[in-house]
Amino acid sequence: MEKKTEQFDVVIIGGGAAGLTAAIYCGRARLKTLVIEKALVGGLATYTNEIENYPGFPEGATGLGLMELFHKQAKKFGVKFKLTDVRGVQLEGDDKVVETFRTDYHCKSVIIASGGKPRLTGAPNEEKFLYDKGISFCATCDAAANTDKTVMVIGSGDAAIEEGMFLTKFASRVIVSVMHEEGKMDCNEIAKEEALANPKMEFIWNTTVAEFRGDEERLRSVALKNVKTGEIMDVPVDTCFMFIGYVPNTEIFKGIIDMTRAGYVITNEKMETNVPGVFSAGDVRDKFLKQVATAVGDGAIAGYAAEKYIAESEIFENQIMDKTMPGIVYIWNAVVQESRDLLKEVETFEEKHAGQVKVSKVDVYKSNGIAQRLGIDTVPAAAAVKDGKVAGILTEGISAESLEKLLGL
Amino acid sequence: MAEFTVDCLGEACPVPLMKVQKQMEKMAVGDVLIAQIDHSCAMKNIPEWARNNGHNVEIEEVDDGEWEIVIEKTK
Repeated sequence: MEKKTEQFDVVIIGGGAAGLTAAIYCGRARLKTLVIEKALVGGLATYTNEIENYPGFPEGATGLGLMELFHKQAKKFGVKFKLTDVRGVQLEGDDKVVETFRTDYHCKSVIIASGGKPRLTGAPNEEKFLYDKGISFCATCDAAANTDKTVMVIGSGDAAIEEGMFLTKFASRVIVSVMHEEGKMDCNEIAKEEALANPKMEFIWNTTVAEFRGDEERLRSVALKNVKTGEIMDVPVDTCFMFIGYVPNTEIFKGIIDMTRAGYVITNEKMETNVPGVFSAGDVRDKFLKQVATAVGDGAIAGYAAEKYIAESEIFENQIMDKTMPGIVYIWNAVVQESRDLLKEVETFEEKHAGQVKVSKVDVYKSNGIAQRLGIDTVPAAAAVKDGKVAGILTEGISAESLEKLLGL
Repeated sequence: MAEFTVDCLGEACPVPLMKVQKQMEKMAVGDVLIAQIDHSCAMKNIPEWARNNGHNVEIEEVDDGEWEIVIEKTK
């Protein structure tokens, strides 16, 4: 199969809350924007039945309903969507490539909003029974198939307990394996009280999964290990639902993007990664709180930052590094007196060589992106540009005469 | 390279996934299956299952809340 090539300004990997918000900002800035999502647009939030703490929805919202609104808003701004998974990336340089199995998407900026995937226990035979063979990560998907059956829930966080309670509407027994001692759970207090009062919910405390057991066809039982006594207990179940957290989806970025040891992408407060033009937002980032509300904040910053990066790239190539005329770039800060004083010298120089030298003034108070591209980290400073290359940098004694000397006039 | 279609419109999980699995068994390597679905949870378990088995997956949104999951059998 021949691979197709398409051109975009921004490619956003992941269509969850962070990716969709970044898409709204990019689309609204009139950038040609593509969101690549490997399954359902909306991401992790669509696995949640109720979202009660996202501002603006006093009656609460369903995860799916809320994400449909995000999706609709992004589409309104002309954002394109492609529902497939990303196979590889080339992120270095100005021409970045995001590959899917049939198409190479070329772009100027990439936003990584790939979120996470369910964490596994690592217990023996786990791989054998994943998804359709008895281990599920989606109560919404598989609850109906477990009507009047016995299911197990692994975990005691908000997701585990809320999904467990949802399962009691279908299954006859919901057995919850909790690794903590009796009465201690990781979920919020309200969910905990409701769960403990629910007659269909049973708790097995102090336990973790020792082994998944079954036959060729599917999972038949889960062997739980008591972490205090070491005792193994075989619990027959029809389906085991696992909610023990998430691991970031960052395999394809390994060795390219800086990450924490756990694989979360490291960014600064502008959502910039270690690679210029590559930003990251949402649950895939190393951050304090992972919620729809914080994903939206990340997405807005990443979208805005990508737009600024692309605009700056164009100015840098077309104006600063102009090949047709020698140039002087004055890097200054409008709020610093010394910078303002020297501006007069630069203007004297500009008048004297009008038509022969192109003078650009870059105020770092607004953005230091161009200064960084020139390799300048002090203000005031001046750079001479000849034939599209930096010919010299001056950080002291800037005057009309020294600028002439710098440019070799 | 034959192309097959399974109509899962109006069907809830896990029926679409089961239909896809049955059809995939009958197909040869290189064949393509198009599953028509309108139940959003099938957007999670079908692509997950197919990728987990190494197949190529791409999805088209044909209408609001209606999708075609394109699966290329690779082994």
